[in-house]
Amino acid sequence: MTGSVQAMESLLAVDGIAFGYRNKPVLHDITFTVERGSLCGLLGPNASGKTTLLKCINGVLNPKEGHIRVNGEAVSGMTRREVARLMAVVPQQMSLAFSFTALQMVVMGRAARLGALKLPSAHDRDEARAAMKELGVESLAERQFNELSGGERQLVLLARALFQETPILLLDEPTSHLDFRNQYRIMDVVRDMTHAKGLSTLVTLHDPNLAARYCTHLVVLRDGHLHRSGTREAVFERKTLEEVYGMEVFVQQIPGGPSVVLPGRSMEAP
Amino acid sequence: MREHRLTFAVSLLLLAASVALALVLGRYRIEVGALVDILVTTVSGGDVDPSLSGSSLVLWSVRLPRVVAAVMVGAALSVSGAVFQSLFRNPLVSPGILGVTSGASFGATLAFFFAAGSATVVELSAFVWGLIAVTLAYQIGRRSGNTVTSLVLSGVIVSALFTAGISFLKYKADPYQQLPAMVFWTMGSFNSIVWADSIRALSIIIPGLIVLYLFRWWLNPIALGDEDAMTLGIDVRKARMIYIVVGTLIVAASVSSCGAIGWVGLVVPHMARIIVGSDHDALIPFTALLGGTFMLVMDTLARSLPGGEIPVGVLTALLGAPFFAYLLVTNEKRGGWQN
Repeated sequence: MTGSVQAMESLLAVDGIAFGYRNKPVLHDITFTVERGSLCGLLGPNASGKTTLLKCINGVLNPKEGHIRVNGEAVSGMTRREVARLMAVVPQQMSLAFSFTALQMVVMGRAARLGALKLPSAHDRDEARAAMKELGVESLAERQFNELSGGERQLVLLARALFQETPILLLDEPTSHLDFRNQYRIMDVVRDMTHAKGLSTLVTLHDPNLAARYCTHLVVLRDGHLHRSGTREAVFERKTLEEVYGMEVFVQQIPGGPSVVLPGRSMEAP
Repeated sequence: MREHRLTFAVSLLLLAASVALALVLGRYRIEVGALVDILVTTVSGGDVDPSLSGSSLVLWSVRLPRVVAAVMVGAALSVSGAVFQSLFRNPLVSPGILGVTSGASFGATLAFFFAAGSATVVELSAFVWGLIAVTLAYQIGRRSGNTVTSLVLSGVIVSALFTAGISFLKYKADPYQQLPAMVFWTMGSFNSIVWADSIRALSIIIPGLIVLYLFRWWLNPIALGDEDAMTLGIDVRKARMIYIVVGTLIVAASVSSCGAIGWVGLVVPHMARIIVGSDHDALIPFTALLGGTFMLVMDTLARSLPGGEIPVGVLTALLGAPFFAYLLVTNEKRGGWQN
């Protein structure tokens, strides 16, 4: 295997993934890796295939071609349970048909490690509370999940992912539907978790500025093709962003801070 | 579940009280003193006082099998309702709405029409057709948008289909030999229950309830939706199959023993959710308890109200339908069930 050296360093390897619904191809030959301890942003305009790619990675969708490997082992050969011990997913904004408390939600992160006829123990609940405390949301434990604000829900789901204790964390647009302050709050938590636990984190984002601020690596999709991937410094530049979003942009370095991108005169659609 | 200990204790007491009430009430009145006498002498192995032999006969041969069947069928329909609701993430479904009940009634009627009522064939046929009905409803619902409403509508479609099937069989049936029994299945009642029926039903319902009880917690992640449950490590297809098969099995056993009784499987899980919340750890056992009590109270009312016995299904509908309307309206105000 040509990528064996690379596979040892990178925890999550996306290797030649292609996917389509019936006759409509969505993803073509996507290849990149996410290393341990890195926070990788997945950027691209609407309908570029970000969410689909995330679902292929966590095995909810089966790719037509290619493999997802974790530590060199293909995910396609694993049971749901085994996959859930490797990667935790924070879904896009969700509301529940039935209301569970925040704590009950977090406790469900234990499902993949629980015996078939076992129930979560008091010890599991204590640990779930500890995970909530780590993210500063232990006060929400007894509240109904459906009554929480968008930001609080996202933090509870992050606590669930933390409690799932996986080396890989996948987030599907965790900041959509959130107000300005909460977007940064959530991404702060994601960055801190990634560093503290040495996770490999992959996050889809709408806002390139959030990506520039938080991500160490970037993967850019366009029409289901991998457009660019690499370190933030290499990828976050004017030409790439203009090609991907189809508009004129300026990229500026804030003194002592991250780069930011601002729209220029908007371009005609090609 | 610990925080609901008091709730469970109170409900157990209520169930015990309804059992006692159901045993003494009825056209043949058994005094409470006589009931205690009979129970004590029988338990201690003695012979019942000759003056109480009539009461004793009514108690052991008529009332008790009926009470046992009512409690078990109530628990079965309610638990299966709670399971289907969580499985399909849909608070509006029940064995009745999904067409399981009418499918099972059709199966029972069909078996009766061709096999002249061998109890095993009736049960088996009820189970198979109940399973066909729920599979149809699920598949139609999934292909028509997979929303709360589409599943309910596809259940209505499937129910209509099987109700038509039942009507056809009734029309073709021998009006003297077969028709009365067929009517019985479409209008559920416990009034002809004897021990043999109770025991047949119990031998399926109790193991089924035990399985659902043992696997109850997994309904929590499953109630979050298929994708989320998968990422939490659950083989959703396999789990769904197990729950559907067991849920349908206990409904089929209920329908075979006492006919189709509507609304219980929809109303009781909702009452249970209001009282103990949606955590299945407490919800499943509490639904069983509440469903058993509810059905027993309804059946006792049905046979002791003035004006002669009425089918219990009439009463459950009279109570269930308005309650459901209330739920619809209040939930709409709280933001509704759509999405």
